[in-house]
Amino acid sequence: MMRNQIIEEKPVAGVGAEIFGLDLREKLSEQAYLEVRQALNTYGVIFFRDQNLTPEQHLGFAERFGEINVSKFLVQVPGHPGIAEVRKEPEQTHNVGGGWHTDHSYDQAPALGSILLARQLPDRGGDTLFANMSAAFEALSDGLKRTLLGLKAVHSNAHVFGPKRPASRNNIDAQMRNTENAIQEAIHPVVILHPESGKRVLYVNQTYTVRFDGWTEQESAPLLNFLFQHAIRPEFTCRFRWREGSIAFWDNRATWHLAVNDYHGERRLMHRVTIEGVPLPAARDSFSTSAES
Amino acid sequence: MRKNGLAIHPLNDSVGAEIDLDLSTPHEDWVYREIRQAIDAHGVVFFRDQNLDSEQYATFARHFGKTIVPTSDIIPAFNGSSEIAEVRKEPEQTRNIGGSWHTDQAFRPAPYWGTMLLAREVPDYGGDTLFIGMAAVYEALSDGLKQTLDGLRAVHSNARVQAKMTDGKPAQPDVTHPVVARHPGDGHRFLYVNPAYTVRFDGWSEQESQGLLDYLFRFAQRPEFACRFRWREGSLAFWDNYQTWHYATNDYQGERRVMHRIVVESDPFF
Repeated sequence: MMRNQIIEEKPVAGVGAEIFGLDLREKLSEQAYLEVRQALNTYGVIFFRDQNLTPEQHLGFAERFGEINVSKFLVQVPGHPGIAEVRKEPEQTHNVGGGWHTDHSYDQAPALGSILLARQLPDRGGDTLFANMSAAFEALSDGLKRTLLGLKAVHSNAHVFGPKRPASRNNIDAQMRNTENAIQEAIHPVVILHPESGKRVLYVNQTYTVRFDGWTEQESAPLLNFLFQHAIRPEFTCRFRWREGSIAFWDNRATWHLAVNDYHGERRLMHRVTIEGVPLPAARDSFSTSAES
Repeated sequence: MRKNGLAIHPLNDSVGAEIDLDLSTPHEDWVYREIRQAIDAHGVVFFRDQNLDSEQYATFARHFGKTIVPTSDIIPAFNGSSEIAEVRKEPEQTRNIGGSWHTDQAFRPAPYWGTMLLAREVPDYGGDTLFIGMAAVYEALSDGLKQTLDGLRAVHSNARVQAKMTDGKPAQPDVTHPVVARHPGDGHRFLYVNPAYTVRFDGWSEQESQGLLDYLFRFAQRPEFACRFRWREGSLAFWDNYQTWHYATNDYQGERRVMHRIVVESDPFF
């Protein structure tokens, strides 16, 4: 533990930590920035309470961590293209992000993470769940780990909100834009070496991962479905209850998240700022390395 | 066409061929070589109207390798024979032997290669045996899945089968075999897992293994990979246990079915 640490970290069971001791309206000191970045790498998702930031302050905090990603598909906050709106109106029944996913896994260089700030919330409901994909990977058997370390997977958005989506999902056009151009596809290692923490992370997700590279979808489904089920065990997950001014800052490579859709008839408005990421390297098979040496 | 040329009639591209030949008389060596080649290529071959006595039957079998002494209580030696065992279901019995998809012997460290059944008494209809060609199954998988499976071994056990037996014998110790094995005859690859005895991938938990194994088990049962043999008295089926599954249908309650079995050894797969 760092001496004279500025922030206080309170780990959450499963995944994540609450962070105390910072007012994010103010510019972070270099040390505070390093501590937050370290906490993000350690916990995968960090939570702040009572941060009633202006859009400029929200963007200013995010910019410390990297370049801002302008969302291709979410509605922008007027005057602030760097801030995306995650909005559900009382008359809407679909929500954005209602299945387990990591943002942008269909991109070649998926986003580092997002800083989601609660602007308007239902009295109850609308929680967000997170899953710890490093813990999920490490809990697998050595044999399955070894197999997965040798595989890549194909990710796509076309079948989720793009042209190949089912007709039943056409109502998302009220909450998203430019969906006719949602035709991105990317291949990533099934197990990535996290570019900052060095952890091995299971990098497939139920929403965007369509198959193992070189396998058919039918062949891939049973093992993928096992992994999807395995990763959402309560031991690897947490559930965050929002208040206005709450912030969740997640590392998109280390976690999955899911937005619970249980507040029909009420409005929920979140502001999301997303930070650009890097291409994801494969984790190495430490078993075979040691066996060969 | 081969030089000498037995009349071999494949049933389909995946598994099974009929051979027109009288097995009651001795043949030159090339005949047995071609039968063996046909089994390597088709997994199982069928001969009709072979009303062999026990000595003629055993003589035929010995051309393919050492015959195995029957030791099973479930499939006992026929009439004290050291080579022929009897697979029998009586009219009052309701359970049959081999009534699920399996590969004989997969739970043994060194499974025997060949099994032959000679039909002695069969019901008017029913009691067919189905075969699946696991080389065709393997070839139909995607290149990516083939590559992954090529690197895996699987754990086999007869514990689940033994638990349903009434002979009180303990299960055999677990063994592992390659998931994709290579045939000792011509080196072709085949998928060597089966629903009766394969419990998991080696190094994986059963829960982790189940989804992919079940997929392979379902995929293998596509009719394209299978054939169905209807027995008559004197029909003889001779199959390669390495590269086939088989299934004895249990649909002839109240009737007797008696088959004579000989098992022969050959080179192990690798």
